[in-house]
Amino acid sequence: MINLLGISCFYHDSAAAIVQDGEIIAAAQEERFTRIKHDSTFPRNSINYCLEEAFLEPNELNAIIFYDNPIYSFDRLIKTFINSEKSIEDQWCKAIPRFLSSKFSIQSLIQDMLNIQIPVYVTRHHLSHAASAFFPSPFESAAILTVDGVGEWATTSISFGQDREVETLKEINFPHSLGLLYSAFTYYCGFKVNSGEYKLMGLAPYGNPVYVDMIYEHLVAIKSDGSFRLNMDFFGYLDSDYMTNQKFHQLFGGLPRKPETMITKKEMDLASSIQKVTEDIIKGLAKHAKELTGSDSLCLAGGVALNCVSNGILDNSKLFKNLWIQPAAGDAGGALGAALAASHMLFKIPRKLNINKDSQKGSLLGPSYSTYEVRAALDQYGAIYDVVDDAKERAFRIANAIKDGKIVGFMNGRMEFGPRALGSRSILGDPRREDTQAKMNLKIKYRESFRPFAPSILKSRANEWFDLNNDSPYMLLVTTISKDKRKSFNKKELSNNNLLNIVNIPKSTIPAVTHVDYSARIQTITIENNSEYFNLISAFESLTGCPVLVNTSFNVRGEPIVCSPDDAYKCFMRTEMDLLVVENCIMQKSHQPHNQPDDSWKDQYELD
Amino acid sequence: MARRLFQYDPLISYRFIPCLKARVDHESGGYLFKTNTLGFRSKHEFNKCKEPNQKRVLIFGDSFTAGDGVSDGKRYSDILENMLPNTEIFNFGMPGTGTDQHYLIWKNFAMDIEHDLVIIGLQVHNINRIIARYRKYLNKEGNTILLAKPYFELDSYGRIQLRNVPVPPEKLSIESLNSDQLEYIERTGRMIWLRSLIKKLGPSAKDFAQRLVRFQPLEAYNTRLNPAWLLMEAILQKWVSEIEKPVIICPIPLYQYIEQISSPNHYQERFRSIERIPKIFIHDPLQDFLQFPYNIRREFRFKVDQHFTPSGHKVLAESLLKSIKPLLTNNSTNL
Repeated sequence: MINLLGISCFYHDSAAAIVQDGEIIAAAQEERFTRIKHDSTFPRNSINYCLEEAFLEPNELNAIIFYDNPIYSFDRLIKTFINSEKSIEDQWCKAIPRFLSSKFSIQSLIQDMLNIQIPVYVTRHHLSHAASAFFPSPFESAAILTVDGVGEWATTSISFGQDREVETLKEINFPHSLGLLYSAFTYYCGFKVNSGEYKLMGLAPYGNPVYVDMIYEHLVAIKSDGSFRLNMDFFGYLDSDYMTNQKFHQLFGGLPRKPETMITKKEMDLASSIQKVTEDIIKGLAKHAKELTGSDSLCLAGGVALNCVSNGILDNSKLFKNLWIQPAAGDAGGALGAALAASHMLFKIPRKLNINKDSQKGSLLGPSYSTYEVRAALDQYGAIYDVVDDAKERAFRIANAIKDGKIVGFMNGRMEFGPRALGSRSILGDPRREDTQAKMNLKIKYRESFRPFAPSILKSRANEWFDLNNDSPYMLLVTTISKDKRKSFNKKELSNNNLLNIVNIPKSTIPAVTHVDYSARIQTITIENNSEYFNLISAFESLTGCPVLVNTSFNVRGEPIVCSPDDAYKCFMRTEMDLLVVENCIMQKSHQPHNQPDDSWKDQYELD
Repeated sequence: MARRLFQYDPLISYRFIPCLKARVDHESGGYLFKTNTLGFRSKHEFNKCKEPNQKRVLIFGDSFTAGDGVSDGKRYSDILENMLPNTEIFNFGMPGTGTDQHYLIWKNFAMDIEHDLVIIGLQVHNINRIIARYRKYLNKEGNTILLAKPYFELDSYGRIQLRNVPVPPEKLSIESLNSDQLEYIERTGRMIWLRSLIKKLGPSAKDFAQRLVRFQPLEAYNTRLNPAWLLMEAILQKWVSEIEKPVIICPIPLYQYIEQISSPNHYQERFRSIERIPKIFIHDPLQDFLQFPYNIRREFRFKVDQHFTPSGHKVLAESLLKSIKPLLTNNSTNL
């Protein structure tokens, strides 16, 4: 048995993953344990969990693989400083010690934690992403496209995966980065870099792509092979702490929007424009990957692969017959990719390919909690709960509550790996009700959001409700709702600056999950993916005729998705959720002691 | 750590959550364990009946017996099981508990289980736990909390009387106790300020300071009339009176005795004195630890954590084997 532990940390979300003889056993992000959103520190808790799940002693590990090569990253750091024309002593003083004390100390951190000498290998950042996308995919061979902010020198790569190998064919290097270009607009529109990108994507349908020509004229040039170059005169990330600079601000007519202030038509149009440019670049890169590999299948990873609008467009383009996207597409997935790359490419373990099914296991790779553990936790809080052992009875009881307009916190089985809640740590609601979106936003998430929630739908019914070509088990594709389910509304509202007026206009028979352009970030459910969640949606369908539920992540704003029963109960009690389901225990808010929502989470979690 | 290990128990105060599969991050590099459906750290389900020709030993104790710091398979009970043919060992060890709670575990979970021998792994520090009514713990946030525990008192006839059952489940803060109650928090030593200063200086400084002052950790053993010892004696006497099979009491030494920082004379004398009670066999493993040179003995505990390392467990198992073998043989002959 070859046991390999992959680690990613010190940049974005840190994580660990364990792979046994090429099979993915466990993977988890550190933030879920430390309760610090996007925690990038050494993933001690994640490593502990992975060894626990595999029930392995440290000396049973054959190797530990770090997801990128610190020497190349250091090289980039040094050369960037040297080539910078501005005085950047402050940044130098901050960045170098931070770098030296983190990435170069990985071996000693591992030894300190596991108290044993284990071979530690490093791989390449984009190879980790590519491996995370290709090896779990159901494809024998595939083109692989990885796009992110930066990893070592590379920001984009095109590779070819076949059998046990991934060969890098082309790379685009820093500072020319689609991820950083998108982040620059995220920053300029007043959202937090590295977490607010999905908000910018959600804002795009409200705007018009009026700035596209300006972006092409001044900021980015696309070549015939799909590669691109940024005009660094307009960006601040090389020589300052900011993504954009004065020239960028002049170009778009003013300073960046201040966070938490009103979103105007300008931000909507900027979002729409950069989204269009992103889609163009991704399409160009995918086209070139097709030319280079001749493959019918494409795998995607890297932070930009979480742009599900762009993914949906790529899917609809039919450029590739098959598409598979790593659900933990960001740096957390690098831990998994590193372990898989070593497994197949270094230890030469054959892939166990199933062309009908990926080997990501529904991305349910995190910890689960037995009913004993659940009850031990709930009893500590004096929680009042019913134990409903019969799965069918449980599903109908929850479905009935949702039908009656209740908002339900739902925790079952193993936690998701990746940023999306897929029905194991989710907040659920009735998509048909006009008040669901507002209620979930204001009373549970504590935000005034312009983004609709995502729908989970039984896979067998997906084509009746959505225009979907492909399966979407990981909520990574955006598609449109079927025409017969749409409702017309006055598009003039789109010229209005007040987004919330538009958000609350019903746009379909399932308004809570329908965006202003009739799009939806869809998740398809099968019994194999998540039987408990499948049973619940099936029960809801038999009660209402609607095979769709609203699915949003189980957390409050700024909080990582809940992991344990303790996290779930605390989150439930902090919000105005009506019902909490943790495994076979069902709790009604009105029955709980001290059932007043409290806002102490605002002190604990930094707003995203 | 996301996984909770213990659940409330109204009689014992707490026990392991049943059917756990857990890994505890620890200076040893971490340790793995599983619990059975009854909530004990054992690979065995505690079936009442034995298989024919099978021998069975029940072991009770605190974290030294439960195996804090080491994975399943490396505890002295597991090592013994491997050394003894056709013998299964049921480990009822529960971290953070005292001999009073071990007796309650016996009464509530073990007394109906068929067996050939009982071992009470009595960490000598337990004498401080039996007089305590509250025990300090650090919660996930690193704050000190108190958990209530059951305890016994001696009545005017010298009989033990159970108190504080059902144990209140609430976690308490030190501030919530009155001055009388504060007396009953488990003692972890005097001169807290000095101990915390030395702790900050590291384990080597602590060892040096203890050697320098000829530290005596357990004064309760100093005289046979000490109330704590009288209570211990009464609990053991009552417990053993309920057991039909032989009982080995194994006073598990603190590291201060193993590393000859402190004198063991008082506690050894006290335990020798109860060997007069029928069915009790005192097995003192200290001599077996002391046969090793100091640098090896230092390896029997972790750098910071005082619990036994796998090598410490091995020495204890090999030591106990000498007392267990003849008793199991004689016992089966008697049967």
